[in-house]
Amino acid sequence: MQNNKKGIILQKLKESDAEWTNGQGPLSDIVISSRIRLARNIEGIPFPSRADQVELKNIFDLSQQVIEKSSLFKDYNLLLLDELTPLERQFLVEKHLISIYHALKKQVYRGCIFNQRETLSIMINEEDHFRIQYLLSGLQLNEIWKLINKIDDEIEKIVTYAFSGKEGYLTSCPTNVGTGMRASVMLHLPALAMVGGMNDILKAISKIGYVVRGFYGEGTEVMGNLFQVSNQITLGLSEEEIIDNLEKVNQQIISQEQKVRNDLLSNSKSQLEDQIWRAYGILSSARIISSVEAMELLSKLRFGVELGIISHPDLATLNKLMLLIQPAYLQMLAGKDLDPFTRDLQRAILIRNKISE
Amino acid sequence: MLCQICKKKEATIILTKVSEGQKTVIQLCQDCASMFNDKLSIFPIPEFNINDLLTGLLKAIDLYSKEEGVIPIKEVKCSNCHLTYDEFKQSGKLGCSVCYHDFREQLIPLLRRLHGNSEHVGKIPQRAKGKLNKIRKIKQLRKELQEVVSREEYEKAAKIRDEILKLEGALKKRNAK
Repeated sequence: MQNNKKGIILQKLKESDAEWTNGQGPLSDIVISSRIRLARNIEGIPFPSRADQVELKNIFDLSQQVIEKSSLFKDYNLLLLDELTPLERQFLVEKHLISIYHALKKQVYRGCIFNQRETLSIMINEEDHFRIQYLLSGLQLNEIWKLINKIDDEIEKIVTYAFSGKEGYLTSCPTNVGTGMRASVMLHLPALAMVGGMNDILKAISKIGYVVRGFYGEGTEVMGNLFQVSNQITLGLSEEEIIDNLEKVNQQIISQEQKVRNDLLSNSKSQLEDQIWRAYGILSSARIISSVEAMELLSKLRFGVELGIISHPDLATLNKLMLLIQPAYLQMLAGKDLDPFTRDLQRAILIRNKISE
Repeated sequence: MLCQICKKKEATIILTKVSEGQKTVIQLCQDCASMFNDKLSIFPIPEFNINDLLTGLLKAIDLYSKEEGVIPIKEVKCSNCHLTYDEFKQSGKLGCSVCYHDFREQLIPLLRRLHGNSEHVGKIPQRAKGKLNKIRKIKQLRKELQEVVSREEYEKAAKIRDEILKLEGALKKRNAK
């Protein structure tokens, strides 16, 4: 029964597209998505790294109560990660529903709650008891804060959070204490990357308390010119201030990117067009392609769409492709484990089909 | 030993800088040290790795405390989950919410360095709202009180004082419950 339910949830997840990939949000020609996550712990129970099995189970049961008791969480799915295969867990990572750390760490009663739109997910017993995250397309941090704040209040009706007047929301790692909030914006910055302007920007923003991460969060590589900019400071600033500052930092990066894009368009349009059409050529005819090469070329194609040089495929298709071509997603679609070479073959077919749709 | 900068507070941190064979030692209080460490770049701050940053800071803070011989950090233990401060230093993760209370002395300099601050000003859970909002309001009123007194606006000051007393009374009642 349990297995059956798990199967249905994963099947649906395989077929559905996350709402944040729709390419519709504000400034979506540069901003892929915005995300806020809140780290929360339950009073009186040690943090997951120090909790015993009974305590971890208590937390998991509490999360179940949360979604059962509140109408806000109607139609939400709850998965117990212990019951999933490594491939299925990796698939959740690629869907941006859980972190790599959550997928890999050896510990029982790890869970994941998420809604059908895949905008909200709650990791249970990750580094903290609850890690609530909300994702939307484009630059929408204020909107997300409103939504996630409501969810947070709703959960608090059922559980008592560990909180102190001085240090705020108490978290396993002191780098998250206070608001427990990490806000981030995923930017597509091909022009800045092309002219080598990224290093200066990265240096500058790290100096003022912001950090850049890769496509799959902390400790992951930047690929396809996708940069995730997020706040580091969580204590001593209000949530609104953190969001406001992050939005300002991002707006500056965005205007830099726009400036370089315009310069490139007016000075080297032919070279740009050539690169973009070549990328299109390879993607629409390659028979074997690795995920790294595909991400790079998809970035170029996306750049072409963003600049209006090429009109097809649309941003939504490109966003979705970035997820579909990842190793675990490909294997989930195939319904079996695939060796790397077969994945490169399958990936090429998938891209050709999507691009010619 | 008083802090060499402000000459007011007790110096608890010794900064040693070795540059071109020259060794400079400064004794500072925590507040002045947090202002100065950027300029002296005593602590190498890696740009993108938050974990290295954390362990580095922990080591640095530990080192200075040891030199001073103030806190025998190794023996500090959480009364609830029994995590030792040493274990925290290894993993960078605290064991439970009580750790924040029991390691507070050690954590404050760390939090200042990580966040530039050690006090929360953001969201308050519903259950704690009444009390904490009152505490925040009292803090803010005390500041205002100082300002109006310095401007010799005594009528205003009296009003603010009354408001503070009222809030403090309400808090006491709440605590008594």
